[in-house]
Amino acid sequence: MRGATQTKWIVAATAIALAATACSTSSKSSDKASSGGGTIAVQLGEPQHGLVPQNTAESEGAEVLGAVFAGLVEYDNKTNEPKLRVAESIESADSKLWTIKLKDGYTFHNGEKVTAQSFVDAWNWGANQDNAAEGLPFFAKIEGSEDLAPGKDKKPTTDKLKGLTVVDDKTFTVSLTQPFSQFKTMLGYNAFYPLPKAFFTDPKTFADKPIGNGPFEMDGAWEHNKQIKVKRYENFPASDGKAKLQGVTFKIYDNLDTAYNDLRADNIQATDKLPISALSSVKGEFGDRYIYKPESGVGYIGFPIATNPATYGKPEIRKAISMAIDREAITKTIFSGTRVPADDFINPLIPGYRKGAMGDAAKYDPAKAKALFDQAGGVPGNTIELGYNADGGHKEWIEAVANQLKKNLGIEVTTKPFEKFGKILDALGEKQYSGAFRMAWSMDYPSIENYLRPIFSKVAIENGSNYGGYVNDKFEDLLNQADQAKTQDEGQKLYQQADDILVQDLPYIPVYTYMSSAAYSKKIKNFDTDAQGRMNLDEVELAG
Amino acid sequence: MGRYVIRRLIQAIPVLLGATLLIYALVHYLPGDPVQALAGEKRADPLVAEMIRQKYHLNDPFLLQYWNYISGVFKGDLGESLTGRSVTDMISEAFPYTVNLALVAFIMEAVIGVLAGVMAALRKGKFIDQLVLISTLFVISIPVFVTGFVLQLVLGVKLKTDYGVDFFPVSFNEEDGLRAYLLPAFVLASTSLAYVARLTRTSLMETMRADYVRTAVAKGLKRRRVIGRHALRNALIPIVTFLGADLGGLMGGAVITEKIFNMHGIGGLLAQSVYQKQGTVIVGMVTLLVMIYLITTLLVDLLYAVLDPRIRYE
Repeated sequence: MRGATQTKWIVAATAIALAATACSTSSKSSDKASSGGGTIAVQLGEPQHGLVPQNTAESEGAEVLGAVFAGLVEYDNKTNEPKLRVAESIESADSKLWTIKLKDGYTFHNGEKVTAQSFVDAWNWGANQDNAAEGLPFFAKIEGSEDLAPGKDKKPTTDKLKGLTVVDDKTFTVSLTQPFSQFKTMLGYNAFYPLPKAFFTDPKTFADKPIGNGPFEMDGAWEHNKQIKVKRYENFPASDGKAKLQGVTFKIYDNLDTAYNDLRADNIQATDKLPISALSSVKGEFGDRYIYKPESGVGYIGFPIATNPATYGKPEIRKAISMAIDREAITKTIFSGTRVPADDFINPLIPGYRKGAMGDAAKYDPAKAKALFDQAGGVPGNTIELGYNADGGHKEWIEAVANQLKKNLGIEVTTKPFEKFGKILDALGEKQYSGAFRMAWSMDYPSIENYLRPIFSKVAIENGSNYGGYVNDKFEDLLNQADQAKTQDEGQKLYQQADDILVQDLPYIPVYTYMSSAAYSKKIKNFDTDAQGRMNLDEVELAG
Repeated sequence: MGRYVIRRLIQAIPVLLGATLLIYALVHYLPGDPVQALAGEKRADPLVAEMIRQKYHLNDPFLLQYWNYISGVFKGDLGESLTGRSVTDMISEAFPYTVNLALVAFIMEAVIGVLAGVMAALRKGKFIDQLVLISTLFVISIPVFVTGFVLQLVLGVKLKTDYGVDFFPVSFNEEDGLRAYLLPAFVLASTSLAYVARLTRTSLMETMRADYVRTAVAKGLKRRRVIGRHALRNALIPIVTFLGADLGGLMGGAVITEKIFNMHGIGGLLAQSVYQKQGTVIVGMVTLLVMIYLITTLLVDLLYAVLDPRIRYE
């Protein structure tokens, strides 16, 4: 500190200021449109795992994988019907043995050809419990899966699924343990992407720099928490449509408000997740470049039928509760229109959805609700409890529901916050919690089946989202019949009959479906999002 | 003094061990399943969850887990997060950002804070004094996230869209160099800066009334020398204490600032790991933060001797 006078402080301060200005001349490279399409930057959250398709079950990793890989099928952006992509044909006579033929021309980004073996190897890896891949449950339908995933404290006896047979370079067959009419729809999910040989020799490197077969290839490795850069893959088959942009930088944010501010300042060009704070202003600022459309999620109130039959055991009581909820008011007031009242167990985007399928049960009718409730004998102690996880912005709507029930049914309603979603699951699993609870579902693939079995079937009590312990043999039976249908359409009709049973039984009550919101800058055009709110990056172009 | 330093460093070992054990235990006994926390809003597949638990030995008894962890640490291995990344990698990626941010903030805090405090103290009751008092009160009373968002919106977004001035980046980009740190560092430093200014003002005003300063003035020393060598040096002791403790605080407390400006430093990583119950990551980082605290307090103690010759260590 000797001789440290004010002059020195000032010198230091000036030095900082000078250094700062010196840096300010560098401009952003993403702004410049170079020949053949230019590059843009878009918003992303840090993916949770390495970028291995079989191990990715969350949206952020899937967004990148969707750019880097091409699946056997993809989904039509309007109808959500499956369309063939890498597959030339996917056929089955009995919905049990499927023959998959591949198109020519697809190569991995290292030049390796995409063959039948690339798919079989990838699926074998995903189905093996030793790899603890999050996509493992998706392979359970394939014959021989129990040999690769025999369960806790057991060792797989083989590393190859019995049900997969490579016929030739371009053909392989898949034999399922049970017929499954929706199998083709499933195949667009990222767990079913192919893997090149390079993955198996060095999975760790691959996880940071995946070698896919999609329209974009990695441009350098994933810079964790910073960015993931991809560039156009020049050898992508023209029939599938090469990417229009030269490159895309996924800039990683953990704060949507900051990403939105970066979009407003045109530092990034698109986001498919807007912060709640933006909802009031985004329309005015972005106009036509604000996309607001239905998304595949459904929000429910669930009932612990198995744990607390005294209160929630009667379908009439559940129906009365459903009818006493003003869905319109909740979606409008609490969610300012970012949710839509649900009227079917199936999301409106999904082929097979029927408008108004729930009938009376989803119509707000306090008088009828009260009458039905009293007729059914009410609930013990005249009280019910609603549980929710406090980490996801559910407090407001659950409290609104509680107030409506209180008013319309004349009962005492308490709400119970759990600090995290996982804690409700624990409490329900250990049968420590016997109140009603909020729940939500977002699809894995756009099939009506995906809104039924994983949530309401008997197997879903152990492995899925059937937290209420609902069991109905007729429902199970219809699901099985629908699985065995020879065509998708035939299957769909039977699934709808299963849906009708849910409408009678109301094990959960659907309250709303989600809307997704996205916005993009003036600099780009042809931007859109899919049913899961993901960006269609290969079609995006620079504007003008 | 060398012996004093060595003794202090040896004392640090039990502190570190105790801190890691405590944190490890706290994380371990937090309710909730870390594997489910990874799966987010969907239920983790029971078999996959079990395989992950086995892979990371989450089913072992607590003390065995801690022993495995700490013996790894002595071999220089901080372990692996549940998402399969090396904790050493995660920390060494995040650390430079936070260190840079904290250093820039620290410099702002020390330079601007002390300067403002000195000016206010020397012109007591005048305009500049009032300005410092009011502006610091203002800064202290506004929460950091408000300051952060407002500055981001005004300087980052509005300045660029309305006036074409692209000087302050909305979010952190390494390529922007020092410029990228200015706004976040200012936000991070703002509250402490205000405290430093007020502390300096009071401390200097008090010292100015001390006998030895009066003696120095009576001796006919120049005002600059009286203030610089006699008054300020003594007045700085409490400020150095505050700054030293604050440097550690800046490193650990950058959670909000880092989040607003999308800097993926220690603060954000720590918050995320606590949320996901990632024990190994939390303990690794806390160990590091404890070490930084220990070292900065040691440095502060040593600085006392420089500032005040009466203080001696052996």
